[in-house]
Amino acid sequence: MTGPQRITEADLHAFVDGELAAEEKHELEAALAANPAEMTLAREFRDLNSALKARYAAKLDEPLTPAMRVRIARLRPGLLRRIAPVLRPIAATLLLLAAGVVGYFAHARYTEPVEHDPPFVVTALAAHTTYVPEVRHAVEVKADEAHLIRWLTKRIGTEVRAPLLADLGWKLMGGRLLPDHGLAAAQFMYEDKTGRRLTLYLRKEMGLDNTSFRFYERDGFGSFYWIDRPLAYALSGRVSREELMSLANAVYAQLETPPGARDPPPASRDAQPQPR
Amino acid sequence: MSSRSEAVAAEIPRLRRYARALLGDDGEADDLIQDTLERALARLPQWREGDNPRKWLFSILHNLHVDGLRRRSRRPPHVGLESVGVDQSSPSADAASGGDIDRALQLLSGEQRRVVLLIGLEGLSYAETAEILSIPVGTVMSRLARGRDRLRMLVDYEGGDRNGRLSLRRVK
Repeated sequence: MTGPQRITEADLHAFVDGELAAEEKHELEAALAANPAEMTLAREFRDLNSALKARYAAKLDEPLTPAMRVRIARLRPGLLRRIAPVLRPIAATLLLLAAGVVGYFAHARYTEPVEHDPPFVVTALAAHTTYVPEVRHAVEVKADEAHLIRWLTKRIGTEVRAPLLADLGWKLMGGRLLPDHGLAAAQFMYEDKTGRRLTLYLRKEMGLDNTSFRFYERDGFGSFYWIDRPLAYALSGRVSREELMSLANAVYAQLETPPGARDPPPASRDAQPQPR
Repeated sequence: MSSRSEAVAAEIPRLRRYARALLGDDGEADDLIQDTLERALARLPQWREGDNPRKWLFSILHNLHVDGLRRRSRRPPHVGLESVGVDQSSPSADAASGGDIDRALQLLSGEQRRVVLLIGLEGLSYAETAEILSIPVGTVMSRLARGRDRLRMLVDYEGGDRNGRLSLRRVK
């Protein structure tokens, strides 16, 4: 600062970038009030910062590329070589988990709403609000019927799995088949001890690219949706956004795990439909 | 381990945003992020809990970028304004007609672009920027002033609406 009357360009930059101490800032604000030209310049610098943020805001939303995931996964061997052979399986597991955490947090962290929600999430939430109030016919096929997963897999046209959310207090009730603009969609319904219900809607996605989590909300119902080709998913419920987010993370994490690594494969799961 | 991995993971979107703005190309930006991640994760054990992950990761990214520029000298350098001149036939005119500050940015020198982006886009302090780029704070300030002036010449404000969007016009 060079005094209230004389404003340097360096002062203006420092002002715009929040580099001034409170006292200097007030002094400069007072000086700017008497200098419209400098005021305009400061506003232009500030607008430039806003324009940059607006221009690249979408980058914050992008999920990790497959190549990045591969790169993270490839870190394992190099680190493993430095670890005693006996400990390697443990270390490998830890590293796999760490890589998962990295991918999963980077993926899940940014969930700002987008302007154009894809139609499937609208359909998913409509299906949610239609079937959730049902007392006797909430699901078409109950979870304990052996063919639920097999049937939906066949109709959807790609492998479908029903994530298990019992650890989080949500029991799988069953599922149903739904029409979605010429495609077959599946809805799994979950219920917690207090009778709250959650649905996971999924269908094949052939047009849109993979996305990170997005939040869609309507009439008090929220839905986290994402595309992880070949499937598009929407997890809906009337629960807090934070809770829905953690459930969506759990669903995503389970579906990311290859079949067999954590869950029994679909066929054997059919044989023991209520794993918990 | 996991809290540090999380700290790294949490920075990835910002690193990608910066890399994209710096390089002007999604593919190159993601390549740079991959290299940054690999180096960062390999060095994770040396990273102390109290350290600022953002500063650390941006430093790694910066060093890799500079190394990459030295190594890949066959890649055409970014064209500075000095050599282009600001007239209707220059790329700046295209930048303006495309209505895109992204194109205008690429007309700054790399040194200016880094400072303008670390401060203006990433909101880092002058001191943090100086550390990341290993230059004195005074140099940060002079590059910032020159870079912003150039960028301002390339874009023209039409009110700058609430979302901070700019309307870009051809430079006179």
